[in-house]
Amino acid sequence: MSRAEVEVTLVQDSFSAPILMAADAFKHSSASPNDGLVPAIANRQGQRRPRRTPRKSLIVVLPENHIVSPDLVAVRLPAEGDDEEIDVILAYAGQSTSIAALQRQVGDLRVLQAPAGTSTEDLRELAMMQAPGDIVTLLCGTPV
Amino acid sequence: MLSVVVSVRDAASTLAEVLAAICSSDLPRESYEVIVVDAASTDGSVAIAARYADTVVRLGGRESGPAYARNRGAELARGAVLAFVDGDVVVGRDTLPRMLRTLDERPDIDAVSASHADNSGAQNFVSQYWNLLLRFGEERHAARCAQFAPGCGAVRRNAFFSAGMYDEWRFATACLESVELGERLLGKGYGVLLSSELKVTHLKRWDLGSVFREVWFRSRLLARSLGYSRMSAAAPSDVVFTLSRTLTPAVALLAILMLAAAFVPTPDALAKGGVGLLVLFLTNMPVHRFYASARGLGFALMSAPLHAFVQIVAGVALCIGWILRDVFGDVSPDATTQAYSEVGHEIWPPVPRRL
Repeated sequence: MSRAEVEVTLVQDSFSAPILMAADAFKHSSASPNDGLVPAIANRQGQRRPRRTPRKSLIVVLPENHIVSPDLVAVRLPAEGDDEEIDVILAYAGQSTSIAALQRQVGDLRVLQAPAGTSTEDLRELAMMQAPGDIVTLLCGTPV
Repeated sequence: MLSVVVSVRDAASTLAEVLAAICSSDLPRESYEVIVVDAASTDGSVAIAARYADTVVRLGGRESGPAYARNRGAELARGAVLAFVDGDVVVGRDTLPRMLRTLDERPDIDAVSASHADNSGAQNFVSQYWNLLLRFGEERHAARCAQFAPGCGAVRRNAFFSAGMYDEWRFATACLESVELGERLLGKGYGVLLSSELKVTHLKRWDLGSVFREVWFRSRLLARSLGYSRMSAAAPSDVVFTLSRTLTPAVALLAILMLAAAFVPTPDALAKGGVGLLVLFLTNMPVHRFYASARGLGFALMSAPLHAFVQIVAGVALCIGWILRDVFGDVSPDATTQAYSEVGHEIWPPVPRRL
């Protein structure tokens, strides 16, 4: 699957369970697959004002049949009471069983779904386009 | 753990190959991290970096040079050894492991760097000429010297930070910043090794304009900031500048001959110029011999006029550098950057740090 063919859905919801949309749902609507990407990109462009510290993002990449331990993610997150904020993005292909656990771990989790078969590299690249951080850490899951 | 810091700016054409080569190293993947620092690229380098890297740093704003970018990567690095690889340099599968082995086996060495491979990634004549010219210096003087090669080098973390990292204040462009770091490491008593056995391929395509620009900046910076005599004492001139060892006597001899020829009562200017060029050619005989052995006599003959012209550019730039140093002093960032630095303005990306 080429990068151009990959269709993704970005679901930004802080507290409710992520809405998983089939990628081909876009084919039956007037929306472009890239419409889902717009808010995050615009968000990044809107943050061009000077900051004192770098904004950080953590991307968790889960290709098909991969899982990630919430603890592994937790060690990358700032400790309680720490002022630092990290945007966490979960990018996965097909279906993932790790979402609920991650959702509990990370309140403000962004979820990026790509069709089954999307490669790890494509997932990383797609998630990177969504990450608003100046420093972006990419974490890959382990095979089931 | 090894931290590989790759600094890039608009390197989309080469970055995938560079990062794929790093990730194909004969090292367990969990034993190293790849940090790509992107200096405001506009060509999709970030997307390519995301496919391979563990951490991607996006530096917005103005271009502050590779020294600045590498320092930002080093600040995030977790490894005990830091390797710096340029965005157009392809390492071999064994390059990084052998660097680590050298640092493991030789406690007297704190920084090791690879030299240019015999063949440049670009096959055009000028790229081959420039690649071989740099290779010439590295091959003749591969050993302990103040040369922490910019293309690919590894340094112990404590040595790097103890030496003060790269000088991002004075070196805002990609030019001799690694040589300056090597000299500082040596000055603090650390061992710096330039290995002729470790070779990396540089993919950058050079043309006449870019070679002359590089020679111009190198020579000017050498004279203005680094100090010609100081660098010659710290590292063999052939390595630091490739040309400088033969340059001074060649230009001096040429000037004397031309002056003498001016008083010869013959109108034949061609003969006078011919004598001058012959002298220049003879003083560069080691370089021409190296070209002939590496690429054949034809290549050596073709490169001779280019080499002569490069030397003329270098000579003029050295003089300009000396004048600039005497009139304006060392290079420094623009007034705004200096003002921000003076008041300790906190901002991201940070203001370049003064050593």
